[in-house]
This record gives sequence, structure tokens and C-alpha cells, in this order.
Amino acid sequence: MTTTTIAPEQTEVAQETWKGQSVPRKEDRRLLEGQGVFVDDVKRHGMGYIHFVRSPYGHAHISSIDVSKAEEIGGVYGTLTGEEVASLTDPFFQISSVPGANLKDYALAVGKVRYVGEAVVAVVAETRELARDASELVEIEYEPLPAVTDARHARDADAPTLHEDAGGNLMWEGVYEWGDLDAAFAEADKIVKIDELHFHRFNSTPLETNGALVEYNRGIGQWTIHTNNQFPGFAAIMMGPAMRCGLDKLRFVTQDIGGGFGNKITSHPQLVACCLLARKLGRPVQWTEWRTDFHMSMSHGNERWFQNTEVAVKDDGTLLGFRTTALDDAGAWLRYEPLGGVIWAQVTPGMYRWKHIRVDFQQVATNKAPCSPNRGYSRMQHLWFTERMIDIVAHELGLDPVEVRKRNYIRADEMPYETPNGCVYDSGDYARMLDIGLDLIDYAGIEARREEAESRGKLLGVGIGSTLDSGTNNFAQSQLINPELQFSGNNEVATVKLDIFGEIVVTLGTTPQGQGHETTASQVVADILKCSLEDVHVRSGHDSYWNSHAGFSGTYASQFAVTGLTAVKGATEMLAAEIKQLAGAVFGGVPPEALEFADGGVRIAESPEAFLPFMACGAIINANNAGLPDDLNVTLNCRYVYKPPFQVPDIERKFGNLTLTYATQIHVAVVEIDPETGYYDIVDYVAIDDCGKRINPQIVEGQVMGATAQALGAVMHEQFTYDEDGNLLTPNFYDYHVPHALDMPPLKTGSIESPSPFTELGTKGMGEGGGAGIHSVCAAIQDALRGHGDAVVWDSSNPYHRVWEMLQHPAEAGGSVSVVSA
Amino acid sequence: MVSTEQRISVTINGTTYEREVEARKLLIHFIRDDLDLTGSHIGCDTGNCGACSVILDGRLVKSCMLLAVQADGSAVETVEGLADGDELSKLQQSFKDHHALQCGYCTPGMLMSATALLRANPHPSEDEIKKGLQGNICRCTGYWNIFEAVKAASE
Amino acid sequence: MLLREVGYARPGSLGEAIQLLAADDGARALAGGQTLVNVMKARAGSPDALIDLGRIEELRGIELGADGTLEIGAMTTYTELVESSEARARPILGEVCAQIADVQVRNRGTIGGNICTSDPTNHLPPLLAALGAEMTIQGGNGVRTVAASDFFLGVYMTAVGPGELLTKIRIPAGRNDGFAAVTLGIDGTCIVSAAATHNGGLTLAIGCVDAVPVVLRPASADDDAVRAAVQDANLDPPSDVHASSEYRRHLAGVLAVRAAHQAQGSS
Repeated sequence: MTTTTIAPEQTEVAQETWKGQSVPRKEDRRLLEGQGVFVDDVKRHGMGYIHFVRSPYGHAHISSIDVSKAEEIGGVYGTLTGEEVASLTDPFFQISSVPGANLKDYALAVGKVRYVGEAVVAVVAETRELARDASELVEIEYEPLPAVTDARHARDADAPTLHEDAGGNLMWEGVYEWGDLDAAFAEADKIVKIDELHFHRFNSTPLETNGALVEYNRGIGQWTIHTNNQFPGFAAIMMGPAMRCGLDKLRFVTQDIGGGFGNKITSHPQLVACCLLARKLGRPVQWTEWRTDFHMSMSHGNERWFQNTEVAVKDDGTLLGFRTTALDDAGAWLRYEPLGGVIWAQVTPGMYRWKHIRVDFQQVATNKAPCSPNRGYSRMQHLWFTERMIDIVAHELGLDPVEVRKRNYIRADEMPYETPNGCVYDSGDYARMLDIGLDLIDYAGIEARREEAESRGKLLGVGIGSTLDSGTNNFAQSQLINPELQFSGNNEVATVKLDIFGEIVVTLGTTPQGQGHETTASQVVADILKCSLEDVHVRSGHDSYWNSHAGFSGTYASQFAVTGLTAVKGATEMLAAEIKQLAGAVFGGVPPEALEFADGGVRIAESPEAFLPFMACGAIINANNAGLPDDLNVTLNCRYVYKPPFQVPDIERKFGNLTLTYATQIHVAVVEIDPETGYYDIVDYVAIDDCGKRINPQIVEGQVMGATAQALGAVMHEQFTYDEDGNLLTPNFYDYHVPHALDMPPLKTGSIESPSPFTELGTKGMGEGGGAGIHSVCAAIQDALRGHGDAVVWDSSNPYHRVWEMLQHPAEAGGSVSVVSA
Repeated sequence: MVSTEQRISVTINGTTYEREVEARKLLIHFIRDDLDLTGSHIGCDTGNCGACSVILDGRLVKSCMLLAVQADGSAVETVEGLADGDELSKLQQSFKDHHALQCGYCTPGMLMSATALLRANPHPSEDEIKKGLQGNICRCTGYWNIFEAVKAASE
Repeated sequence: MLLREVGYARPGSLGEAIQLLAADDGARALAGGQTLVNVMKARAGSPDALIDLGRIEELRGIELGADGTLEIGAMTTYTELVESSEARARPILGEVCAQIADVQVRNRGTIGGNICTSDPTNHLPPLLAALGAEMTIQGGNGVRTVAASDFFLGVYMTAVGPGELLTKIRIPAGRNDGFAAVTLGIDGTCIVSAAATHNGGLTLAIGCVDAVPVVLRPASADDDAVRAAVQDANLDPPSDVHASSEYRRHLAGVLAVRAAHQAQGSS
């Protein structure tokens, strides 16, 4: 065991600003030492372990449930069934308007199961093993029903209906139309028709699964929910009304979370089951989701078909508009859906200047796991779609995909740019990023590389994937889904205080899962108070009882650098003002403008010997306040709510700003295909990002890399594939292959900074990434197949066998595209 | 001789623990639940993710594919044993310097694999590093910074 | 992820192990555990008792005979095969073992466990079938050897019967071998594999296309003859989420040719 450290911790020499530097992370030490606290690490004396008995059928009536044999086993503390849940709770609130609004969604299946893996009964026992053993003694009788697993057939006359209350499998539909489609298609020289494009089902499989340890305080009727849910505000809104309790009775506590990527937002059904059991059994209840359970039941990313797409284009490659039917496969329940039905509209035109757009959006239920947000939520699907249109148009018309992009990209001098549906792209320089990317990949040398690959019997292809990472939602977009919803705007909270001994303590409302919030928050604070990073103590994780959160608090949707950090800035500036007020009074009436921060305290700028350390400030306010002026109203405990500037959109026209910031990523991929097997490698890869001002460049780059790796895994291997009975064929990491170390291609990254004019720090949220890896690899594969069947890539999932099929049967396996002269 | 419970003696990071365990208990559950050493993690149920990796009698193994009873009489090293008091190991420090962790969930297993690699091969090539870490899944970093960190620690 | 109750013993000798296995129909040998423990975690199979072979010296060791024959103890791990200087007499063994999964699996997984599992996607059954290995099996009724061609009987089924143990694998001398596979990610599970040995004539064994390795002896070592042999085998491989039957059949032909090239030193 080696013991030498390489270098001492970053020395606290006075810097211009901490913001913009890649300072080491505060989170790292405990994580490196194995001293992080993840939810399964939390233990309580006498706790019971839960095991959920789950449905083996994709669709079935539940005829009977008998838990008696399970409950007879010594050490089994109790059980919970859907019948109990239905009497103790009300159905979860539905975001959707009719028909989705009619769904009756409970913590456990009631009367029917609608997907393989749906939780039916919960068993709690003294040990994990015993809970598992006892669950095998639960007897459930099912009457299987036919299942529907293909969204394209979910509305057929003979399709089995999942929810009788909804009268069919349509959950939500809406038409989005802007500009003048007829005029655009009349003006076009060519119309490119694409029968079908398919964005497949997968998610980000965070290494830590969902979990909770729930304690019930019988005396005050309050639950403490130790969990790794990444959006406790949403969970509370869903759980409180269902459980018929006030939201303040639900205390959410998180510390370290092993990845979220959106997949830890909709665990509320299981959390309700845990709460009911903790109360019923009078003991803490612990739940850790199995990997298999996660794959079978949790937060699949939206699967979406784009049908009958038509693109209006001029001969010179100018894109005028498009229309399509977007058919979204939501799975068996709407848990955050149908918000996906509007969220894509944050990036309606993609990165392009076309003005005439129509999307007929339909969302249907199928006998598969419920979809919930997954990294890039709903925008990624749409951006993949726009990139496919660009590449297919270029492919069909014999145009250079680089030229088509440059011709149609929104230009830097057009920013801020209002899209056809009233969203405002804040800033960006797409053409410049593309040039940087092409230069880094040595685009000029691609033809030579192609020849060289061919001499080895390989097909080489290059592809561009450009994408947007929109961040900081305006939740009013939910009203486009359901005008009766009372949600709009957004918020985030931070509290910064001086403790009695002058410790600077920061409390966030967020639930970080590796994004380094403790670190970047401390950078913002230290810049304002002119102290060291060590002096800033940022509390780890989230606790509702810190009262430093608001309705939308959480870590999702690429927003922390805007919402969280602006809240931190606001709270720190409030604190700074109060410190100066206090010091001014202590110094005998010195105005705040004459004071400055330095060396862990505040002093008179002109005569620095007049110095009050933070410790003194904290001590005075907290314990020594006699004799202070009557009108001095400072607490040194400052809570700030950041509210982005949003309006409610025009619901009729579906027009208005839905997101505050737009980070950009442009990727270029080079693939080499072995035509004999369809096997392919990514032999070169470049990722360029722009997220405005970067608070910590190393953290930003880490997010870009992580998003890239996930996108590459998704396009090459990862898929939640079902058979026609609704059995998931990839329920674990054995069959659902995620990238491992040897799978990683060489990577070059680059970045530019286009500050956002709409945020106080010039930052933009980033982190989700927008799936550029999927877009670029699809484009590269299509490029490699040029002249070798010319198949069009029409599916976002391209494992080896599909590539081989595209080579063997380009007409059947490749997309069906036709070009009509207008 | 065949029994469903056994008394075992396992040395972990230099401390010897004697416990009565069911034969069916996995080593990872013994380490986490019985001994409260929660640094090693569980990320899957098919032995694919490596979050549970520990070093057993000098060999890197996945502790979710071993029974606790199989470790009777053995010496195990986990992430809790890497630092020397407050001083991080060279490898741990290198992970910090190179931003080789984000959520930190894969990190203990990754550190054990990298530790085993550098012991067997003090100056690995990039391919050898990848091979050495192949059994550890990370979903946050894309691995590139982890390769950098291990390379830097080997110099 | 949680096993059913199970009995456990860790005998110190081969004889003891065989006795324990013979005494209980529901007892199973525990070798490296890299498959069996996972099966038990999934509760897809739950033996009454596990007889841990980990401390039985007689099952370890690699011996290189004067005639170039290798005798490999069944409990030899993949890592031991990769690191063994004796095993370098037949380099393909270490080369293929080095591709199996990852370091952690290779440190525990054994050659005996790999072939006794007889999972169609395992690397070693087609390899040993091509090499013409011989398996030594010992039980209450004594010791016998079984050729690879008679060893693999079906999915998860081999010639090792109840109360018996595979003790040794004998590999004949030779160096002209090849192995080619398309896997789910690098060093991942095989989608189709092909092993080849050139020793006068060419012997091929295709994995993942049937319950057991399909052994072929093409008329010659030419590409055409190899493809014809695969064609004439009328393979009917399974379809699953990773490959259609058609794709597997196609890969079999391609990989057989590649393995054959390797075996002739011209990859």
C-alpha cells in the first residue's frame, strides 16, 4: 500500500476569482475513502427489510392474493397488498388531461397488473434473505390477458386496453403547429418523405439503484424518508395528497446519491409503500431496489416513433419546414408523463432556422415499464429526430451534411433567437463549434482515412451530431399539456449563514448525484466573501427540514449552474450586505460602500486595521446583541429564492418561452465497420461543448464525457427490448451491455463559452448533454454505408446485427425514404 | 461436515473478525451488513458491475460472487484500508486530482481494481489499464479521467 | 440477489469431496462460483448443499509432459492459465482465457467450471472441442476419461454424472490454433465463436449455434472448404435479443474462416 500523496491540497493563495477554476472537489475525500453515505448505508435498529413481489405477466387480472403463509414465518414482520393501499391512499395525482387524467395509479397494483415487474405485494422481514424467502410463499392468482407492446398498434381496434378508466390506450395527444406549412411545402423544390424513424427505449442505469429507509414518528405522524430520490419536491407533491397527509409530514433526507440522470425521480410509489409499512409495522423499513427490478420497472426513457415525416427543402439545401407524427410509447403508467409531450418543444427547430413546423404528438400506454425522465428527457428524442432529418436530406439530395448544417444553423449574430414557438435560444455559435470539431477530428483527412480503411476491408464513416441541452424549465409548459394545472415558473433556494463562531454554512435545495454542487457553490460564495474555499462549509445532500428548498427544488433538467448557483449568489449577497451593515454599526456608523471583505472578515477599505472577523460578526448577532442600534435588522441567516423570469405561455398557440438557457454540444464520430460481421468500432471522437461561463471547467468536462459515454452505450448496445408478451429481454447488466473500460474510444474535447445574457452568472445549465453521441454515430454509420447499399439509419439503436442487416438488406433494414419534386 | 451455518474468521484491512454466518450469505453482504464496512457497494445482481470488488488473499475478486464462508481464514482488503489515517494513497489522490469520480459509487471498487493492477504491473500501458478496470462499470465519468488518474499514479 | 438456504462444506481432499457429492443428490460442486453463485442469486437453481473445491490441491496444477501434452487441474483459474509458463506450450489457451470477462472473474473462474457449465456462450467448450481435449472424471466407481466430443451433452449437461467430479483436462501437443468471436462489447459474452486447430487437417468447433459445440472437419483448410463445411452443417442457431438465427448462421461461416486463418498462422 503506497502512502505518499502527490501534492498538497490546493494552497489558498489569493486568486482573482474562484469561479472559472478547476478547483478540487470537496466531495471527493469521503467518496474516495469509502465514507460516503448512500441510502443502503443507512441503518436503524430494528429495521425491517422489504422485498416487493412483482408481476410475472405483462397484463393480467389479479384474482386473489394470499399472504398468510408468508406472514406465518418467524421473523416476517408483515405485508402490504394493493387492496390495503387502495383503502389507505388516494390515487396519485395525474398531470395529464383526459383521458390520461382518469388513470388510477397506486403504490401497488390494484386489481390488475400491467407490466412485467409491477409491484404487487410487499413483504417485510428481519433480514434481507428472510424477506426474499417469505415472498416466495405469497400466493397470487392471475388471469393473463393479451399484451400490447408495440405503440404503433396500441390504438388498433383489437388492441387490449390497459386502463379501462381511460377508455383506450391513448393517454394524451396534442397538435403543435407554427408558421405556414402549406406555403413552405409549396415553396419547396423537393419534399423528402421519411416513413418511420424510431428512438429506442433505454435509460442511464445509474450504478446505485433506487432505495429508501423510512422511519415513522407515531407521536407527530411524520415520516423521515432517507432516500436517493433526486426531486423530493415532486415526490412530496405526489405522495402527500395520496397519503392524505400534509407535505410537512414528509421529511426527505439524502446525502450521497450514486447517479441519477433523471432515473431517480419517480420512485414515489415505492416510497409510499415504505411509508405505509413503517406506520403499519411500527418500525423503520428499508428498501433497496434490485438491479433487475430497476431494469424491469423504473424510469425507462421515452420511446418515440416519428411517422410520415415530410421535410420541405430547396435545391440548395435550405430547409423550410417539416411535419411529423410523434408517437410516444409511455409504458404502463404516467408517472411524470405526459410532460414529455411538451418538453421536446423547448427545442422545436433543433439548431436550425426553419420556421414552418407541425408535430402531431400522441402518447399511448403499452404493457411495458413506465417511462420517466431520462438524461436528455424528451429533447434528446426530438434533437435526434432533427439531426436524422438533416442527414437524410443531405443523403438523399447528394448534399454535404456539413454544408447543410452551416447553411441552416441559427447564427451567432441572430442570438438571442426566438424559435417558431416562442422559445428563446439565449446564445451560441454553432458554426464555430462545428469548425472546431471538424478540425480536431481532421475532417480534411477523412477521405484518405476512408481509403486506408478500405484497403483493410473496412468501411469508414464520419458523422456529425449537434444538440442542445436546454436547462431551467418554465413549468408553465405543463399547462400546454393540461390547461387546468397550476404550475408555472421555477425556483431554487439557498441559505447562507454565519454561525456563532463565524463559520460560513451553505444549505442548498438540491440533491446532487455527482455534479459537484458542494464545490461549485463554495466557489461562488468565496468570490463574494473573499474567503478561502475551506472556509465555506456546504452541507452535503438535501434535507427538507433544513427549510432551504422550494416546490421545484431538486437536481434534474440541467439547471444547477443557473438555479442553484444564482440562489447561492443571492443568499451570499444578502449575507454580505448584512455583514457590512453590522460591521458598519460596530465601527460607529460607517456606510457599507466604505467596507470590503478580506482575510476572513470585513474591514474599512481606507483603514484596514478596523477589522471585524466573521467570528465576531457571528458571535455578536447570535449571542451578544445588547446595545446594537434598534433599526439594525440583520440575522446573518439569509435565505434566498431564485426565480427565473418566466411568463405563462399562450396556451392556444402553444407559444412562449419554455426554458431559460441553451447549452450546446457538437460531436463528430468516426466509425469503422467490418462489413463481414457488422461489428464496428468508434475509431475517433470529438466532443465540443458550450455552456456559457463555466464555474469549474473540470466538472463541466466531466459531465460532457459522461454524457458522451452514455450516448455511445445507447446507440451501440443498450436497449430495453420486450417480447410480444411483455417480457423484458434485457433485465440486467448481463444482457443490457453498458460500456466498460475496453469499449471506450479515444476522445478529444474542446469548448467555447457563450455566456447567457439571461443569467446573473452568465452560466447555463448543462449535464444532460442532449444525446449527441447517438446522433453522431447514427450519422457516421449512414456515411459508412454510402455506396454499400446506401441504407438510411432510421433507428437510434444500432447494435452489430442491425448494421449487418443494413448491409445485407438495405431496402428492408434501412429506412424507407422517398424524394418528391414539389 | 455440511452445515447451513458456520463460524468464520476473516481478516479485513488487518483486523480479524469472528462471526457466525449463514452459508448462503454473500461476502459483500457480510462486509456491509455484518461488519458495517459500507465502502464496498452493490450495483447489480449478476456479477457484472464490479462495485463490490475487494482484494482477497492478494487477488482482485467480486465479493458478490463469493460466499462469506469461502473467505474463512482469508485476508481481505477493502477501500477503507487504502488511506493511511488522513493521508490518501497515491492512487486516491490521483483520482481526486484528475476528477476521476463524480457520484463516487463505483469508486471504491475502481480503486481496488486499480490498486491490484498497479501492484501486479507498476507501469501499465493505456490498454493494460483498460484491461485492469474492465470489470468495473462507471456510468458517470466515461472512464477517460479514470485512465488518466491511474496512469498518473503509476508514474 | 439473495440465495436460498444452502448447506456448505469445504473438504480438503478429492476423496472427501466425491463422498459428499455422492451422499446427497442435491449437492453440487462449487468451483470458481462465477456462474453458480449468480445462478443461485437469481434463484434459477438452488442446490441443497455446496461442496467447495477451493482447497483441494489434487485439482490444481498444470503439468507439461515431455511429449508436449498438458495436464491441467480442473480447478485451475483463467488467471493461472494466462500466467502459466507451462501453458504457453499451447498458447491459444492463455490467449482465449485472457478474453474472458475481466480480472475479477479470471481470478476465480476455473477451466473445469467453464466446461462443466456447458453454457453455449462459454469460450472453452468450443476451444477444447477443437483441440481434442480429454477430460478425466472421477467418482465412487473410479476414474475414466472422456473425449471432448463425448463430453458436452447439452445445455448445462456434461458427461460428469451425479457423485462425480471432473479432475483433469488433458490437452494434446500442438500450436496451430485459432479462435475468433463476435462478442457483446469487447471481452464480453460471445454471440458466436469459432475455434480451429490445424494438425494435418483442420478441426473446427463453432460455439453459440447449438446446445453443444458443433465440430466440423472440412475437406481442406481453404476458405471455400471451410465455408462449405459450415454450410453443410445446416446450423439452426437460436434467435435472441443479440442476434437473429440468420445472423448467427452467417457469423459462424465468417468466424470459422478467421479461426482457420489464425490456426494456419495467417490471420
